Amino acid sequence: MNERRHHAGDMSQSNRRRSAAPTSPASPYGLPVIRRAHWGWLVVVYFFLGGLSGLSAVVAALASLTRGSAASETVRAGRYLSLAALIPCPLLLILDLRKPARFLNMLRVIKLRSPMSLGVWGLILFSLVSGLGVARQAASDGFLGAGRLAAVTRRLPEQTLAIVTIPLGLFLAGYTGVLLAATAVPLWAKRGLLLGPLFLSSALSGSAAAIAAALAVRRPSHGEVTALARLERIATLAEAALLWGWLTRLGATAKPLMSGGTGRAVRHGAAGAGLALPLVLNATATITPAHWRRSLTLIASALTLLGGFLLRYAIVFGGNRSADDPAAAFALTRAEPRR
Amino acid sequence: MADSAIAFSAKPNFRSEAVGFLTDATLCIGCKACEVACKQWNDLPADNLGPMTGMSYDNTIALGAETWRHVAFIERTADESAIGSPVTWLMLSDVCKHCVNAACMEACPTGAIIRTEFDSVYIQPDICNGCGYCIPACPFGVPQLSAAGAAQKCTMCYDRLRGGLEPACAKACPTESIRFGFVEELYASGVARIAQLRERDVDARLYGDRMLGGTGAIGGLNALFVLNDAPETFNLPAAPDLPQRIVPRAFAATAAAALVLCAAAIAAMQERS
Ligand code: SF4
Ligand code: SF4
Repeated sequence: MNERRHHAGDMSQSNRRRSAAPTSPASPYGLPVIRRAHWGWLVVVYFFLGGLSGLSAVVAALASLTRGSAASETVRAGRYLSLAALIPCPLLLILDLRKPARFLNMLRVIKLRSPMSLGVWGLILFSLVSGLGVARQAASDGFLGAGRLAAVTRRLPEQTLAIVTIPLGLFLAGYTGVLLAATAVPLWAKRGLLLGPLFLSSALSGSAAAIAAALAVRRPSHGEVTALARLERIATLAEAALLWGWLTRLGATAKPLMSGGTGRAVRHGAAGAGLALPLVLNATATITPAHWRRSLTLIASALTLLGGFLLRYAIVFGGNRSADDPAAAFALTRAEPRR
Repeated sequence: MADSAIAFSAKPNFRSEAVGFLTDATLCIGCKACEVACKQWNDLPADNLGPMTGMSYDNTIALGAETWRHVAFIERTADESAIGSPVTWLMLSDVCKHCVNAACMEACPTGAIIRTEFDSVYIQPDICNGCGYCIPACPFGVPQLSAAGAAQKCTMCYDRLRGGLEPACAKACPTESIRFGFVEELYASGVARIAQLRERDVDARLYGDRMLGGTGAIGGLNALFVLNDAPETFNLPAAPDLPQRIVPRAFAATAAAALVLCAAAIAAMQERS
């Protein structure tokens, strides 16, 4: 209610300022046509950690399936990282509810056209399967001791777990883009087909960067670090192409991503720090002496992760700004087919 | 002219038992009896009116968690640039559209939003967990989270309907600007009203109808509106569509991207000599 009054105050002032000039017939008093979500930082952090957890597990699974013991460091780091990023996720989702005690009502139904419903189920399935994968890893790393538990856990089918983890991890990282696309918010809905792929590629570059950083701390010249750097480069290029394509195809609807804090987060954060700088740093790392390599890899990884975080910040908060903009809402709902 | 325009408008597929509203902007006198009757019957708190908004006589501004009918006042001037030029008023009592395919209901992950036996769209207050997904999903900006944390909007007075009474707003409206009835019949009288108004040279249109570009995959509205200006003038989208239409395609696009990225990842992680 307070927000609404506040907003009304803004609007009446701008209306007064404009009152002598001809105004557009659309949207009296410039009031919003649709309403913004209450989602903020909790959702941004969840989108970031969910993507990181999902694709760290996917990278680990792909590495274990195609490289086996030759990539054992990548597999181990990927699995533990995935678990660390996963643990806060349910908590963030629950805290974002206005009635957190009713979280379990999410499990009353499964709705195929509600990405949020699918996402909750996907998160639960992913947690179960990747949890078993982590347990198996912990058992072979000796963290479960030498007793019965460790023996049983070590007998879990590694390959099957890896194969099942892959689609679930990809789903966890990508569904959030579909969730945003299936709203009336112009920034999210207008070119919504690209949001899932954008989130996926950004989660992949972030996961590769994070795993590479974990390995580089000890052995920066290791072959697995170079392989992860290659992976990070490919994912970063895909992310750059998708981000550029999305922004240009949005046209005037991209306004919230071109101006203000969310605009700076896209330009300097997602594009500058998150895409351009890591590409340069990682390229430099390949031709520098070994003792520089570690720092370059670590800095590049940190920047990639920061960029991925700021990308999600800009998309969530920019979407809220876009929901307040009647011109954007009307542009999405003209009498022509919309997408 | 009026006849040909109407002949082109295909009739939406309303369910036969569906009831709803026909709200006629040309009959509204802006008395706000509907807003007050709604608040009284549904025991909703008064809007916390601070300083006047300066938006004509509109101080409720928008539909909200505790405002389920909202009377919009729009001032049209013949000459925008001339200060003191005469003003004509547009008034319209806005309400939840009780969409035939409702975006809020499709979005809701708890199943709190249901379709009733009257074909209205109802939020069960004891199920909603305040996830807030229905709020940006609605193409008309209708539901809002209440201070207590649940999403709220017009219930079409479900309790009154169960008791055989019409909704409080329709009952209170002194000019029959708000009519309640079977949607099929309301649609027919809406079409007749448009024809009548057009004969009198009023720029009239039925909102929720294909004449305006329709409602896309929403498939029609159970709350129809007779408008005497463009929908945007009343802050209504001209051609709304169901946001969930994109879901299958968006998952397919994401899956395709996932395949490509996985293939690239496998290639990137191979040993190079
Ligand atoms: S107008 Fe909005 S809140 Fe009402 S039924 Fe349609 S989608 Fe739901
Ligand atoms: S806020 Fe409540 S009614 Fe709205 S989608 Fe979430 S659970 Fe459903």
